[in-house]
Amino acid sequence: MDWQRLIVSYLAGFVLLTVLLGLMAYMTWFERRVLARMQHRVGPNRTGPFGLLQPIADGIKLLAKEDIVPANADRLVFLVAPLLSFALAPLGAAVIPFGDTLQLFGIEIPLLVADINVAVLYVLALGSVGVYGIILGGYASGNRYSLLGALRSTAQVISYELVLGLSLVGVFILSGSLSLQDILREQQRMLVLGPLTLPNWYILSQPLAFALFLIAAVAETNRAPFDLPEAETELVAGYLTEYSGFRFSFYFLAEYINMIVVSLLAATLFLGGIDGPFADGVWWLALKALFFLFFYVWLRATLPRFRYDQLMGLAWKVLLPLALLNIGLTGLVRLWGIGAL
Amino acid sequence: MSLEVAVFSLLALVSVLGALGVVLARNPVHSAIGLVLSFLNVAAIYLVARAEFLAVVQVIVYAGAIIVLVVFVTMLVHPDDLPEFHGRRSLRLVTGLVLGAALLAEVAAAVLARGVRGAPGPWTDEVVAAVGGNTRALGQVLYVDYTLGIQLTALLLLAATIAAIALARPEAISDRVAAARRVLTISLAHPRGLDQPELPLALPGTQDGRVKAAGGGRPIVLARSADEFTEQPAWGEWRGR
Repeated sequence: MDWQRLIVSYLAGFVLLTVLLGLMAYMTWFERRVLARMQHRVGPNRTGPFGLLQPIADGIKLLAKEDIVPANADRLVFLVAPLLSFALAPLGAAVIPFGDTLQLFGIEIPLLVADINVAVLYVLALGSVGVYGIILGGYASGNRYSLLGALRSTAQVISYELVLGLSLVGVFILSGSLSLQDILREQQRMLVLGPLTLPNWYILSQPLAFALFLIAAVAETNRAPFDLPEAETELVAGYLTEYSGFRFSFYFLAEYINMIVVSLLAATLFLGGIDGPFADGVWWLALKALFFLFFYVWLRATLPRFRYDQLMGLAWKVLLPLALLNIGLTGLVRLWGIGAL
Repeated sequence: MSLEVAVFSLLALVSVLGALGVVLARNPVHSAIGLVLSFLNVAAIYLVARAEFLAVVQVIVYAGAIIVLVVFVTMLVHPDDLPEFHGRRSLRLVTGLVLGAALLAEVAAAVLARGVRGAPGPWTDEVVAAVGGNTRALGQVLYVDYTLGIQLTALLLLAATIAAIALARPEAISDRVAAARRVLTISLAHPRGLDQPELPLALPGTQDGRVKAAGGGRPIVLARSADEFTEQPAWGEWRGR
């Protein structure tokens, strides 16, 4: 094993984690400001210019709060569950390519923390393990509302993860690879349709898969309108009810980091990632991811929460058959060589 | 190489500890957590052996789906409500030890007879690299060489799923359909089509399918299902028959 590469990887991971945490803090600010605009309010504007210091004030407040463990709780599990959620969230970003290579001190540093050849499946696996943070937190709280929230979350995440995975199969069929780098390389080619020359982004050849992925990703990150696990109006915040102080903030951090990672993934899988006009680079990826993050906030401001049976019905009766249809169609197109990909 | 051995040893140790936790924990949810820990470490061992696809599938299928279901069910059952095991503690201990020893002997015999390394197959490192990686090689074997087997297994699993759903239903489907037809919903709501035909039923206390309500002018309407009604209208909109 190559020690130098290992150390470079660790350092890159550390930098990425730091950047993600900073972004996450300002994502909360971004969400509150945009949401406020959409609801004809002002939003946080007192702490610093444009309320820019608000995330820091929030962080200090949460850290200073008392950490309460309910008497009825399964103590060890209750204490560990938020850490589990938080620890798994940023790992997904490790496989996102942020560029080609960077020359630094004579060492060639790939702008990618871990080059796994099943990168997309790795992200899906992280999502399926990430649900344990919510289930165990809900179970360990020793509270009926929390337990209900955890149960809902389990059923929801299992159902929507199926849709998420199946929606990506079309992309796998077209690119012939599970590696994000190969998928990206495939999208950097040009697609010539008569007089039009378009980038070969998969949003153009897989629009159905893109729509399914987007819907499933919102459900997978437990965001509105699919935020049933925490539905404050019926479950008094579900699995979060008994958490306070920094353990609560760990769940909060995990949710926002998950949103950022999913946005980066969506941008890489369907919008060509770092590919863009004028000059390829990480700024294009950031711009695309920002669009998805805005979309998340937009959804939250626009749509009311689903009813639970509607949520499950949507996954199993609408999205899943559509995903299977997409796989079948893509397979046929690939088999008959239409489009000469 | 020494680094790999060290990593493997750590993963194997934690995996075995997790497995011990499964057996020794008194709380079933704690057992499930131990099992997840063990599975995740086994997946990491696959990663060290450069079987990335197998590792990820291990996590998605075992840690992500099966154990989630186990936790799902055990969460609903309070540990105190679980039935006690039968027999005295010493008896259970002896049974466990004997069965465990038998299993261990079986595994040892298999390992000793075959040798740990086994005979090298056709998929050497060079062949795998020529195809383009482990995942591609696995796909080749599964979906080209053994397509028939995969299809048959899929069919079998589908049949098992359908059978499980059929068995889990409280009664046969035809009975349920018949029961659904018998259900009559009594509702105070506004009937969607006021000109709908009267029910061909003579229930006790009803006259041609309508019941006089005790107070007010609103009739209680018997309907075949709740779908025949719209949502309750504002009081002023009620026009009555």
